[in-house]
Amino acid sequence: MYQTKPYEYMVKYTQQKSWIDGRGVFIAFAFFLGGISGGLFMAAAYFNSVLGMFIAICLSALMGFSYMIHLGQPMLFWRMVSKPQTSWISRGFIFIFLYGIFAIITVILAQWFPEATAAITTFKVLAGIFAFAQSIYTGFAVSYVSAIKLWNSAILPILFVICGFSGGMAILLGISLGGSESQLALMENITRITLITFAVILTVYLWNATYNNVSARDAVARMMGGSIAAIFWVGVVVLGVLIPLGISVGTYFSDASSTALIITAVVTEIIGGLALRYVILKAGIYTPLTAGE
Amino acid sequence: MTRWGMVIDLHRCIGCYSCMLACRQEHFVPRGIYFNRILISEKGTFPTIQKLLLPVLCNQCKEAACVKVCPTGASSRREDGIVLIDKDKCVGCGYCIVACPYQQRTRFEDPKLEYFPGQGFTPYEELGKKLFPYQPGTPLKCTFCVERVDEGIKNGLKPGVDREATPACVITCPANARTFGDLEDPHSEVSELIAKKKALPLHPEFDTEPSVYYFRV
Repeated sequence: MYQTKPYEYMVKYTQQKSWIDGRGVFIAFAFFLGGISGGLFMAAAYFNSVLGMFIAICLSALMGFSYMIHLGQPMLFWRMVSKPQTSWISRGFIFIFLYGIFAIITVILAQWFPEATAAITTFKVLAGIFAFAQSIYTGFAVSYVSAIKLWNSAILPILFVICGFSGGMAILLGISLGGSESQLALMENITRITLITFAVILTVYLWNATYNNVSARDAVARMMGGSIAAIFWVGVVVLGVLIPLGISVGTYFSDASSTALIITAVVTEIIGGLALRYVILKAGIYTPLTAGE
Repeated sequence: MTRWGMVIDLHRCIGCYSCMLACRQEHFVPRGIYFNRILISEKGTFPTIQKLLLPVLCNQCKEAACVKVCPTGASSRREDGIVLIDKDKCVGCGYCIVACPYQQRTRFEDPKLEYFPGQGFTPYEELGKKLFPYQPGTPLKCTFCVERVDEGIKNGLKPGVDREATPACVITCPANARTFGDLEDPHSEVSELIAKKKALPLHPEFDTEPSVYYFRV
């Protein structure tokens, strides 16, 4: 990506750095982990996978850890509950907290008190709602920034949720290998649908950005042809969409699904999800303040 | 109700950077951080090139994006319109830095950064650390010299009229390009300038209602 010189600050397109450079990269990890954790929990709750729900909680804890590294004053993290009226970070913090509590209760009940079905269902639904909220708020936090036209899109929260859900489904598929054939087939079908949806929404998002605004168009051009182009094409397009989609479609037409192929799809899908958050944050640029450009 | 604001005459600004230096001196601003900048750009093609100077600072917006996105309430807007950051409440998430469309916030990262690397802190820097103990990991920005304004009012002075109660950049400008005053008072110099010169805020399309206006006549 073109590096703006100090005297070009806000005279030319200026890249946002706070949320991607240095310690800021951990916000990309946090958003990725939040999305995939929420997606995995929703999928695991539907398929009654206690292990899946447990991994989702671990991923959410990792998200919190990643957030803490990003914060300048991590010991004051508890103050982030103060402004849910207007701040998406504050809302997100509350969602993560409630999701964590309800998800832990669900896993404890499902593991040690399986006969308490009413309670399990209740907490599972509550945790599922906040898992979805955790997954989508990262998109809203980013899209709320009206100054960065690439981000300021209503499609972004949907893209983040679909990406998180497809990653979550992939992990669930990976940990369910060797289980019931019919359940595996259903998981594979859902994964195929979410992957196709993800590819379509990603295309629509980028296409929409190219005619939305000049700075958004410039950001898309940087994403596809600048220094982050390799991460976009290899990470997002090839690893995140084409390979898992190819494997999913390939296994649909073959008689038996290959374990090695499915694990490959899971890994590439996860890398693709992370690459997506990274390139979107990295490609965020501000419109110049002067008329010089 | 008072709402402090500033009007900048772009025709008068000569790009001498004295506002930047005065601001730096007034607030002991750490190295690499600017509360006040002059953006310099060029327009046109040779031989009809026009050099454009644009002094920028925190716009102390009425509908400040930084205040809205702050998850802790550390960024807040006072009744007189000045947007401040409470360093003891700030968690350093950087959301306000990202959300500001004018890019007027900078994260203060390294308290060990010296003005003269390897030579230790100057007595000036040592004094600055006592007077303005900036918190590492939190953002910094222009405050319309809130200390001068508050102290001036306490002493019965009028900001924008009396030098001691007026922001340092305003009183330092040798071209008299900056004017400070109450935007809510229709008889203040700033209000009259805005009305007479048809001054406009920077990029009003961001809908943040800035308190800094510009004109070029």
